Amino acid sequence: MTQYKLHYFNFRGLGELARLIFHYAGVAFEDVRFERSEWPQLKASMPFGQVPVLEVDGQFLSQSYAIARYISRKHGLAGQDDWEQAQVDMYADCIKDFMINGRPIYEEQDPEKQKTLMSQFMSEKMIPHMAVLENQLAKNGGVLVGKDVTWADIACYAFFSYVSVKHPDILKDCPNMSVLINKIASNDNIKKYLETRPTTEI
Amino acid sequence: MPAYKLHYFNLRGRAELARLILNQAGVEFEDIRFERSEWPALKATMPFGQVPVLDVDGQILAQSNTISRYLARKHGLAGKDEWEQAQADMYADNINDLMTGMRPAFLEKDAEKQKELYQKFLVDNVAPHVAIVEKQLEKNGSGHLVGTELTWADLAYYGYFAFLVEKYGEDFLKDAPQLKALIALVEALPNIKKWVESRPKTEI
Repeated sequence: MTQYKLHYFNFRGLGELARLIFHYAGVAFEDVRFERSEWPQLKASMPFGQVPVLEVDGQFLSQSYAIARYISRKHGLAGQDDWEQAQVDMYADCIKDFMINGRPIYEEQDPEKQKTLMSQFMSEKMIPHMAVLENQLAKNGGVLVGKDVTWADIACYAFFSYVSVKHPDILKDCPNMSVLINKIASNDNIKKYLETRPTTEI
Repeated sequence: MPAYKLHYFNLRGRAELARLILNQAGVEFEDIRFERSEWPALKATMPFGQVPVLDVDGQILAQSNTISRYLARKHGLAGKDEWEQAQADMYADNINDLMTGMRPAFLEKDAEKQKELYQKFLVDNVAPHVAIVEKQLEKNGSGHLVGTELTWADLAYYGYFAFLVEKYGEDFLKDAPQLKALIALVEALPNIKKWVESRPKTEI
């Protein structure tokens, strides 16, 4: 049996997607979490000075999406063939772009500037791209690619469940996405994980 | 062989890696380029309102690394097994992070401030990463980033770092002989050499 260890901070952030995939797939892994204060010491032991890191039988992989894709491929959550897998990658990248592009906005200190940046981000990126995801879900019977849940669907769950805490009406125009989020949240393995997952701010 | 059409600006930017992969693999494709002035009209025809987009026999794929990964897989440049493929993905994501990290400097209008931001980026972001990758290249021992053969990870690092050398000179690679050798290795590949000589000359 492959020994998986996921190393990340004790919060959701960029590590949560891998955790959700492992749980959804019902695959055992060591969920190694550390506090921010421990990071300076640990940083040097991580091959790329970054986390999350997936340790597989003593070998290391970094980059949250490379990790997510690898464990998804190993456990039937990546898509059925090369083309489906590419479609899954594409939708997952859309979610990643939301996270990457949203981050500087949250970090902006000036409230006026932040308001402007947020408004621009919503109208230029979030709303049009969420519409693309919503249409795809409507067209494809409730999951983004193929016939079954893939890690792109889980990435949507990770992102929207996270964002809707501060922005509860983010999915008001996306009923199909809301259904998908609930579908993932209602999965027995995910439900069980959510019951015991540490409660963290991010 | 499927009919590939790659749509992007007349720039290297985020499409160049796909072009390098296709050229290295010796695969024909239609290299569709448009000027910035044409973009507003084209934007609405792209599924995510973004480019690059790859048209494969009429089916559309968006997102630059997704396109590059798909082409690499189809044409023997992705890595030998799932673990190698994951490592190649990781390296491609590293380059993506560097490109994204450079954007604030790239977008800065004030020339003096821009110069400052670029320098800061080279010191704060590029230099540490170069040191880390140099160690990984030493550890891997084959001259390649992943396994023993060329993968799209090598092409991604070539594409990005050759661009930085073009803009800022080689100084930042002075303590990275392995990375320097990798860039030279890719540059010397016959298909890459031919492409670089013949491709449209663009600022970025």
